[in-house]
Amino acid sequence: MSPESTLYKGKTGQWAFVLHRVTGFLVLMFLLLHIVDVSMLSFPRIYNEIHALYGNVLMRLFEVGLLFGLVYHALNGLRVIMIDFFPGSIKNEKSVFYSIFSLTILLTIIGGFIILRPFFTGSVH
Amino acid sequence: MSTAERSTTRPGSTPNRRSRQNFETWSWFFMRISGLILFFLALIHFSLTHIFHDVTTTTVSFVAKRWANPFWRVFDWLLLALGLLHGTNGLRFIMDDYVRNPRKRAAVKAFMYVLAVALFVLGTITIVTFKGNLAG
Repeated sequence: MSPESTLYKGKTGQWAFVLHRVTGFLVLMFLLLHIVDVSMLSFPRIYNEIHALYGNVLMRLFEVGLLFGLVYHALNGLRVIMIDFFPGSIKNEKSVFYSIFSLTILLTIIGGFIILRPFFTGSVH
Repeated sequence: MSTAERSTTRPGSTPNRRSRQNFETWSWFFMRISGLILFFLALIHFSLTHIFHDVTTTTVSFVAKRWANPFWRVFDWLLLALGLLHGTNGLRFIMDDYVRNPRKRAAVKAFMYVLAVALFVLGTITIVTFKGNLAG
């Protein structure tokens, strides 16, 4: 791609875009996997075995990653909608991006704590 | 037919381009509207199956209880349909950006569309045909 073909000049908007694309792609990949694992409902034993596997610590870490991707993509999507539908509503683009990113990290930490806790305490609520 | 009229029907000329612009406009609009709906559907779904319930408790009987209510079947089917459409359309943008060779691009897109349709059918069959057997 030639440098002239891009609108972005390495500011926060570019990172928001890159992260939006990467998280969107990863969430889609999980969706494809998830459709296949849920289709195992017709084979209850296999379905339950797969879902027991989701309780594994590696899978739990993966779920925390999914939470991060999902929350970031959702919040940044709202930012994109605001820019497109209400031009001028976002005055300070940089601080909006930082707010979205901070909120994503905060929600990932809170959610991550809840998702990972059963692995360490051994009890499921 | 005048020369001016005939020239507008040539392949790759104005009407053709206009219809493509129209499709991309709808695609742009669809991404915003479906995105807004998915904001709620996806985050509620994730919260229910990973935050308010532990993932290991989302067994067949958990699904049976939830899907006993048609509301949740419709909810999950909407999430399936909109998620796949939104995701596949997003992947189409990515293919347009990174797969520059026209033949490779057509092949990759064809594979992607077939996969998306197949998974849509599989997911729909799963949601519609699930009998809600509470055993297991």
